Amino acid sequence: MQPAPDSALVDRMRTGDEAALSTLYDRYSAMLFGMLTRILRDQQAAEEVLQDLFLQLWRNAAQFDSARGSLPAWLMVIGRNRAISRLRGRRDREVLEEEAGDYANTFASSQNIEDEAQRAQLARNISVALQQLPVEQRQALELAYFEGMTQSEIASQTGIPLGTVKTRVRTAMQSLRQILG
Amino acid sequence: MTTPHANPEDLDLYALGALDGEEKQALDAHLRDCPQCQQQLAAARQRTALIGLAAPPMAPRPQVKSALMDKVRAEKRAPITQATPSKTGKKRWGLRFSFGFGLATAVLAFATYEFAKQDLDRGKQLRQLQAQLSQDAAALQAMGQITGAPDSAQITLLQQPNGPPGQGHVLYNARMGLGVYSGQIAPAPSGKSYQLWLVPSSGAPVDAGVVDANQENGAVVVRLTPGLAPKAFAVTLEPLGGRPQPTGPKVLVGAAS
Repeated sequence: MQPAPDSALVDRMRTGDEAALSTLYDRYSAMLFGMLTRILRDQQAAEEVLQDLFLQLWRNAAQFDSARGSLPAWLMVIGRNRAISRLRGRRDREVLEEEAGDYANTFASSQNIEDEAQRAQLARNISVALQQLPVEQRQALELAYFEGMTQSEIASQTGIPLGTVKTRVRTAMQSLRQILG
Repeated sequence: MTTPHANPEDLDLYALGALDGEEKQALDAHLRDCPQCQQQLAAARQRTALIGLAAPPMAPRPQVKSALMDKVRAEKRAPITQATPSKTGKKRWGLRFSFGFGLATAVLAFATYEFAKQDLDRGKQLRQLQAQLSQDAAALQAMGQITGAPDSAQITLLQQPNGPPGQGHVLYNARMGLGVYSGQIAPAPSGKSYQLWLVPSSGAPVDAGVVDANQENGAVVVRLTPGLAPKAFAVTLEPLGGRPQPTGPKVLVGAAS
């Protein structure tokens, strides 16, 4: 039997079906928990963010339009944002400039990561691509993604000239773009 | 004169959060008025988020799911997010004292009074209140912890000039990093969320979670890093699901002292 698609499960959540949330949790919690633990390096904190993330999904199911985007991508984006926010709170970092706007209300779906096998294959491809990057590019990209650092912060932390950091992050993203879609 | 569209590579870096300084400001300015690049940014956000798949999947402990499902069932019994439109279509915004905060205040007053008597089984009383008020179990538990602590603080969050009508309340204990929020704000526009922030004396605002417009029929629990003293709490209007840092206008603000 084919597993229920995310869109059908989101529809069921809108009607208050707990089992739909349970299924989505089983489908995506390991993917998310791996990322959250990598960012936070604290299992308990990662668990709390994970739980809040799915609670938010449950509460906001009515607002999520499956036709406009990929649920796992939405979970990855929001989960990463929340983990980095928590990481920053812990570090008590400097006030960031308020962004003038943000426009990521929808997430175009270019990768089908609903399917577990395809998701696993994509994960392997990304891991291989990261490993194939020159070590300095990979480190710069990982500081940006998993530590939430800007290019200036990476330069400050590593002592590498800002221009060099920019080149490394940009080149790393160019290499990954082919795989990420 | 229109500015050229954003370079896809710049959008990737923007989505990654790596851009800063003048580069980011320039892109912010362009994105404000360019729906096409906004759509490209949405795609870039998904693309960059997938880098996280490089982290090996890890199964969380079974207790995490159990606790999640318990919370969901508790909310189904006593919804904390469900709006209850007025039959007359009129809402008394402004200085309206929310039911949720009324509950918190009642618990605080009750606990304080009983604490003074020093003959109270506080847990028993809280359980009675829980049953009586059919409140969300997690919120009530948090309230019990906070109201039992002498170093807890109450903060009233007031609407801002030109902002939507509303009011909120936070009962917070910095030592525990634990609080409850209740309040009511005019419904958020489609595709937007209200997000609560702890504003520390120094450093970046700390995400305290997305809150519903109508949170007056039940408080939402806020768990933050213990020891982080608030200068203020604020609610901002953010893109759906919230953001790591405030990006939208302040809707409610309340100083902690």
